[in-house]
Amino acid sequence: MFPSPIEKASFFGRFAYKLSLPIALFIWLLPLLAIFMTSIRPASDIATGNVFGIPSSFQLLQNYGEVFAKTDAMRYLFNTLLIAIPTTIISVALACMTGYALAIYKFKWALPMFFLFVAGNFVPFQILMLPVVDMSNRLEIINTVPGLVMFHAAFQTGFCTLFMRNFMKALPFELVESARLEGVDEFKIFWHLVLPLVKPAIAALCVLIFTFIWNDFFWATVLLRDDSTLPITVGVRTLNGEFVQQWHLVSAASLLAAIPPVIMFFAMQKHFIAGLTLGATKG
Amino acid sequence: MSTTAALPMDRFATSTGRVVIAAIVFVVCLIMLKLVTTTGMQDLLGYTQKTQARVPTFLVRMVFLLAAIAAAFFFVTGLSYYKRNKVAVAPWLFLSVGLVLFMIYVIVPIFQSISYSFTRWDGLYDFNGVWTGEWVGFHNYKVLFQDPNFYTSLWNNLLWLVLFMLAVPIGLFIALFLNQTVTGIRIYKSLFFFPFVISQVVVGLIFTWAYNPEFGLLSEVWSWFFCETKTNIVGNLTRVCSPEPPSILGDSTYATYGIIAAGLWPQIAYCMILYLTGLNNISSDQIEAGRLDGAKGWKMLRHVILPQLKPATFIAIVVTVIGALRSFDMIATMTQGGPFGSTNVLAYYMYDQAVGEGVGRYGYGSAIATILFLIMLVYISYFLWRMYQDEVEAR
Repeated sequence: MFPSPIEKASFFGRFAYKLSLPIALFIWLLPLLAIFMTSIRPASDIATGNVFGIPSSFQLLQNYGEVFAKTDAMRYLFNTLLIAIPTTIISVALACMTGYALAIYKFKWALPMFFLFVAGNFVPFQILMLPVVDMSNRLEIINTVPGLVMFHAAFQTGFCTLFMRNFMKALPFELVESARLEGVDEFKIFWHLVLPLVKPAIAALCVLIFTFIWNDFFWATVLLRDDSTLPITVGVRTLNGEFVQQWHLVSAASLLAAIPPVIMFFAMQKHFIAGLTLGATKG
Repeated sequence: MSTTAALPMDRFATSTGRVVIAAIVFVVCLIMLKLVTTTGMQDLLGYTQKTQARVPTFLVRMVFLLAAIAAAFFFVTGLSYYKRNKVAVAPWLFLSVGLVLFMIYVIVPIFQSISYSFTRWDGLYDFNGVWTGEWVGFHNYKVLFQDPNFYTSLWNNLLWLVLFMLAVPIGLFIALFLNQTVTGIRIYKSLFFFPFVISQVVVGLIFTWAYNPEFGLLSEVWSWFFCETKTNIVGNLTRVCSPEPPSILGDSTYATYGIIAAGLWPQIAYCMILYLTGLNNISSDQIEAGRLDGAKGWKMLRHVILPQLKPATFIAIVVTVIGALRSFDMIATMTQGGPFGSTNVLAYYMYDQAVGEGVGRYGYGSAIATILFLIMLVYISYFLWRMYQDEVEAR
């Protein structure tokens, strides 16, 4: 283990380390803490300059309640779910199939196809923007949630395929081979043998894609205009314009937008990190 | 199945019934796809506006499309040809849906964008659905190379790339700091990772507020050093500072640096988690061997640890480069390219030119996007080349 375990250090060293941990964390999360404190104080505090002191009254429920009452925050949150959940399901399902094709079968095109998915996954969004807008226009799905879902699902299939293919490549190939010798159909091998084995990868991908889509801002601004279809990330920016100088409400709304991915992260931490650190550990 | 015993059938023969039914379903679905139109659904469902009928139309079309795909699968798998060549045909069946969708939405648009960049077009079609643009050759690029805003954006992109790289060593440093086994360290690790989970829009808002010169976090820290509180003539307390706290986002010299600093916050967290996982998998034998040889501290890190962290470093650099070139959300939330276009990067400038208020320069926007794509292509090729090396080695 590197650096040397702190247990071996002197008493003073251990003490200093344990003391420095919370201090470092405090500094690291200071912006977040500060904005949380702002979100629970009354507007008058900010006006009088009491931005960092103890709030003159705790208005956690009032401020957050006001965000819901005064704005469409509830609908924005609901829209985000409407976008994120179908996208996650479609892209992960498609990637299970593409990943299986690219990992299990040894055909000439396997590697070029795999690289196509990987390369497409890394392109800048702007080069896709105008053609996608134009196509959505002509298919009459611009400005609708299904239209955005279609794009997200297609784009995320790239990342999911990268992930799935590498995960499936690590499975013992003899299993598939012996199943084939017994005359099991290819689709049955996929469904009954391989899918149960890649459950951890499916979980990791679901958590990750859900978070990515929840936090998406660019595509929602490009493909959605109607207020009734906007997700929370765009909604929060709109609120920022409405609540000029009402920082206690802006900060409450921002934190609302951040809460679901944070809960997702803490609930599924293991899967989340497994997804993000893909390939960072193997040779 | 019961008939097989009585009548020895060729197990490679085409299952006629299945193929015929699948073919009929497939054709019916295609006809229905053609028949379902927005105006038709409008009449059927009684919507007064065409826009309201769009989502139901789309969903009905999707149902028919899915049914058509399923029918096609049954058709192909019923054929004698498939049964004889299972291992050769099956991968294409598995690939088909994902690949077609990815082609339509990702691969083809890249080439479309490049072709747009040689046109002048505002994104519209005339009444008969005919394209209204015109071909102008390299005109857009000529204009682009004389556009001072383009050079500002390019310079800012370079700044992002260089300064964003700080996330890698800082991430490593924090990972080394946290790589211990004290009680509660797991909670510390996840709390340090926290900023990465938050949407960039929210990070942007948090930092916009933190940079506010009147009541932000930065002005508070500033006031510890440069300000004193005085009682003014009316008897109220006022804060007098010399020099005044800087308005980072309002000043064209500092604004970009301010946004990059905000962007570094989640990126450092990402690099940290990559290195923490990497450190977790380092073989303890080598560390012990290194210790026996008298290596410790910096020497140990340099010669024993870093070589083993190479894969983590590679991924960290890749995601950081991509993050830097994709920077859009933060700029959109914090400055919208301003003040005076000083915080534009290619990604934001392209958006601004193509669909920003009052301008619909699809051709010009596509030219900017193409340049950005070419820059990214360097990194993508490098990444693919590295992956190819790994694949060849693994064989």
